[in-house]
Amino acid sequence: MLTAAAARNLKAADQPPAIAGKRPMILHNDRPEDLETPVKYFDTWVTPLDAFFLRQHLPRPAIDPAAYRVKLNGLVSKPMDLSVADLQKLPQHTVPATLECTGNGRAFYSPKLPGIQWGRGAVGNAEWTGPRLSDVLKLAGVDTSAKFLEIDGADSGVMQTPDFVRCMPMEKAMHPATLLALKMNGETPDIHGVPARLIVPGWDGTSWVKWVVRLTPAAKESGGFFMNPGYRYPKYALPPGTPARPAELEVIEGMPVKSTLTSPEDQSKAPLAPMVIRGFAWAGENAIERVEVSTNGGATWQNAQLSAQKLPFAWRLFTLNWTPKDPGYYTILSRATDTAGRVQPFVPAWNPSGYLWNGIDKVGVTVEKA
Amino acid sequence: MRTALLLLGFALAACAADQAVIEKGRQEEQRTCLPCHSLRIIHTNRLSRAGWNKELDKMAGWGTKYTDRDAILEYLVATYGDDKPVAPPDMSADGRAKK
Ligand code: HEC
Repeated sequence: MLTAAAARNLKAADQPPAIAGKRPMILHNDRPEDLETPVKYFDTWVTPLDAFFLRQHLPRPAIDPAAYRVKLNGLVSKPMDLSVADLQKLPQHTVPATLECTGNGRAFYSPKLPGIQWGRGAVGNAEWTGPRLSDVLKLAGVDTSAKFLEIDGADSGVMQTPDFVRCMPMEKAMHPATLLALKMNGETPDIHGVPARLIVPGWDGTSWVKWVVRLTPAAKESGGFFMNPGYRYPKYALPPGTPARPAELEVIEGMPVKSTLTSPEDQSKAPLAPMVIRGFAWAGENAIERVEVSTNGGATWQNAQLSAQKLPFAWRLFTLNWTPKDPGYYTILSRATDTAGRVQPFVPAWNPSGYLWNGIDKVGVTVEKA
Repeated sequence: MRTALLLLGFALAACAADQAVIEKGRQEEQRTCLPCHSLRIIHTNRLSRAGWNKELDKMAGWGTKYTDRDAILEYLVATYGDDKPVAPPDMSADGRAKK
């Protein structure tokens, strides 16, 4: 016998639901919500909230901003609980930064890996506003012996599911661009982790803890499942399909260099006429130096035009004006290079959790006589 | 001829048994897999038998209680095995007017 709740859930699984505040999105899961942005929505430098991807590990917590507190304990001289009003009193900063799910592109790895089968749209660029995490920690008198910061989100698991706790080196916690964001694109969408979301520019999405309720400076690295074995990457590349070597797995921090083509749409048709190839490129903690585009499957490459702002942490938009000579099928590729000289590979290293896919992007378009 | 018929008989019986096990597995999924997440996160994966076996261990470690683990494994391998085609994911309905 099904319980009433289970029957409701089954029914819900049949008809794709609407997710509050979101346009139609690629639906990987509805409870909790895991939504991917269709690449055709990416046409602006700031990704609108109604098109921003969503990744949730655990059931989403109910948030009451009036009762919300961030606890500071551990290696601090003045343990305290901060309200949203307390956080609003600190100097507010805005950091534009690209947020990408650690598993964006998992679906492209072969052999296949368990997890959300993200394609190209578990990424977005937003303007995050709030106090610096360093200012918050200084309020509580963080001790110099603290080398790591443990961060707990309000989301917690069902039965014995692990709690969502992460840990990062104090150096990154004290970086001036690391924020406790109260706002995203000037708004307060709690589905994205406000009233207090950790912003860790350039690092993988998993580090950007949502609904932060506890900050604990500590001498040693800590954290449960979501630090180990979760969200680790092999130090030495493995043959595809082989098991992880636990002793050689490292915590993922900065993200790789990457580009994504947004137009033309993959497997679309276009008239034989001038067109603009578009996309965006980003590089973790670095800025984008160059994006090259090929319209002939990689035989030759041309430099694309880049949007003017060359910032670390935030993506740059690119365009290339292109007039196809003949009708027919074209394979268009994009390849980004960052300020540190890192280049997108043809073949990203397979890894046992399917993280950090950053292969040269590819779309196909059929050009037809007008 | 007789042996061939006999073999065919065995094959049909085995197939029917498989169907029954798979159906049991489907029911087991509805009973055991819904407390923490919906089924989409399961059905969008395509894994080998070893891969599904590992997932069932992982979920058991987090509190999932099976009454018929073998049936759910057979069902998952038969329906969402790594030899099965990947279905294009659904799109959510427009939620912009929803609060
Ligand atoms: C006790 C809670 C719980 C139950 C019951 C449960 N799961 Fe899960 N499952 C989770 C959580 C939590 C995640 C997501 C983990 C993450 O996002 O990091 C998950 C994710 C998954 C995934 C995605 C791959 C992965 O490992 O993240 C699959 C597949 C899956 N579950 C299968 C099942 C199946 C099959 C059942 C029923 C036999 C089941 N789950 C029952 C908690 C549960």
